[in-house]
Amino acid sequence: MSLKMKNISFMIGMVFLFFGLWGISLFAEGTKGFTGLGEKIDISPDDKTVVFSHYEDGDASLYIVPTTGGDAELLVEPEEGKSYINPVFSSDGQKIAFIEEWEEDEQPFGELKMIDLESGKMEELTNEGNHITEVAFSPNGDDLYFLQSSVYENYSPIASERPHGFDIFHIDILTKEVEQITIKDEYSMTDLTVTPDGNELMYHSFRDKDIIAFYSLENRLERTFTPYGEDLEESIISSPALSADGQKIAFSGVADRDEDGTFVYEGIQMDLETRQAEKITSFREHVASLSYYNDENQLIVTVDKNFAAGYPDYHYWIVDLDANNQKRLQIQLPEDN
Amino acid sequence: MSRINQYINHVLKQIQSPKEEREDIREELLSHIDEAKMYYVHEGLSENEAEEKALADFGEAHGIGKELQEAMYPFQRGLLYMIGIAAICYGAIFYLNYAFNLHELILDWLAIQLTISSAVLLCAINISFIGRHFYLLHTLIFFMMAWLGFNIMVVEMLPDGRNIFFTIYLVILIGLCLVFMFRNSYLSTDVSPSKSKERTLIKFSYILNLIFGIVLTGGALFFMWGGLIMVGMSWVVAIPLIPLLAWLIFYKFHMSFIAKKPFVSILVGLTFSILVFVAPVALLIFF
Repeated sequence: MSLKMKNISFMIGMVFLFFGLWGISLFAEGTKGFTGLGEKIDISPDDKTVVFSHYEDGDASLYIVPTTGGDAELLVEPEEGKSYINPVFSSDGQKIAFIEEWEEDEQPFGELKMIDLESGKMEELTNEGNHITEVAFSPNGDDLYFLQSSVYENYSPIASERPHGFDIFHIDILTKEVEQITIKDEYSMTDLTVTPDGNELMYHSFRDKDIIAFYSLENRLERTFTPYGEDLEESIISSPALSADGQKIAFSGVADRDEDGTFVYEGIQMDLETRQAEKITSFREHVASLSYYNDENQLIVTVDKNFAAGYPDYHYWIVDLDANNQKRLQIQLPEDN
Repeated sequence: MSRINQYINHVLKQIQSPKEEREDIREELLSHIDEAKMYYVHEGLSENEAEEKALADFGEAHGIGKELQEAMYPFQRGLLYMIGIAAICYGAIFYLNYAFNLHELILDWLAIQLTISSAVLLCAINISFIGRHFYLLHTLIFFMMAWLGFNIMVVEMLPDGRNIFFTIYLVILIGLCLVFMFRNSYLSTDVSPSKSKERTLIKFSYILNLIFGIVLTGGALFFMWGGLIMVGMSWVVAIPLIPLLAWLIFYKFHMSFIAKKPFVSILVGLTFSILVFVAPVALLIFF
């Protein structure tokens, strides 16, 4: 074979290799959308029902299941390419607010929706091309507070694109009038909660280190802190949840290291008065988020069994703080999904 | 073109020698073949038969060329093949691993990886054209090494110890690049001092000067990586590459100087490396 032919053959071969690899990767199961339970759940005010998202090939529907586990019921299913995520119960348990999330031209959108459990009527609360990421009911159930991001980009190319430029907004459910509460343009804001007295908003952010912030709706002042305690190895925390009485916070924090020195995230609870944090779970798996029951001294904990290794593999566990035990919340999804 | 010239051209196609060296080889081959041809003519063969017999005695041109290449530039072509093929294999394995396990198609990365790897393999295939441009080869392998170094930082983010295999693979590949660059630099210059002590000093000087380049590369990648984390995608993060480019340009002229003044060139190389590293930092601090 002449040198010219060798060069041409080689270059054609490389082009084939590129497209061949591309083709194989397209057939890879991994490139399909995520299928599995969503991270965030919420417990009804009477502690009897759990609302959660379940993804099927990248699209999440909302389901409800008794807190005792068993057969889940499909609550609402989005159109293809959209997901219903981060659901929250209203204080009377009659409504569930959630985020409708989708992507267009690699840009994410998130709008606020609400479903009435009795009538099954769904209401669109916002529809202006926003990127709303989370929502929380006010104690009286007339208003909602939500987190909205203004930017979606990779501040660093080693991190994937993420929402940034966060602020808190308020919406009157009746008039649908939206008001901007904060003007912070925060790098990150998650886990928005309204305190039981309705006077403050709690959220998680990152300002050189992880912080939990309480924002007063009365005087617009904010107090922040980073939890510490003997059971907390590092000040890296995520997914803080406020207890129903507003006295405690549970969050995912670094409680230990495994044999390779990798952080082990467990559920940590902090008393807001004493500010002491102590470990409340012992999964030795990645605790992703936590939700308090309203009357029982229990939580539902989301555990990721496939942390930092591709798609997550979430499971829900009930952690009884009085009995000091943890049992899996077994969920049977409807077969047709 | 005569049959002898065709034969010699075929031999030379397998050798990476620069122009003057090629002419010397051509002359030498021609004289040996002519001598053999004359011998067979005296033996009573016709001119045509004598030419044929002389060329047959010399052996198959392709094989002779390869042997000469190996004798003059041992392992260099093989190293290029090895680096290119290993880099292509790495590209395929890493890309598929990323797609199947991290559920993301990094096609732009794959395109870069395969392009650089292909360039190296094309150099190996076309060694007689490209091999004589030692600095071009040096620059290509230097970029390959920097790209592989960047990839070490990328694979470090993989979880579950999955990064260990890829890191070891990349370190071995970078090692091969370094061996090639050292040998390429050394073989590019006409090193003919009689004393083995002097030859050792020249080799030592090449190694040290390459180490300066590697340290600069490590520093540049470190700052570039830091910039990507802190600033994100911006032209500013490319600033650390300026000292690297300056060093590469400097090395073009330094390559031959090392062979002539090995000891002085260590000091010159060190001074220049420090200068190109410190200058941008000083500019950033004072302006």
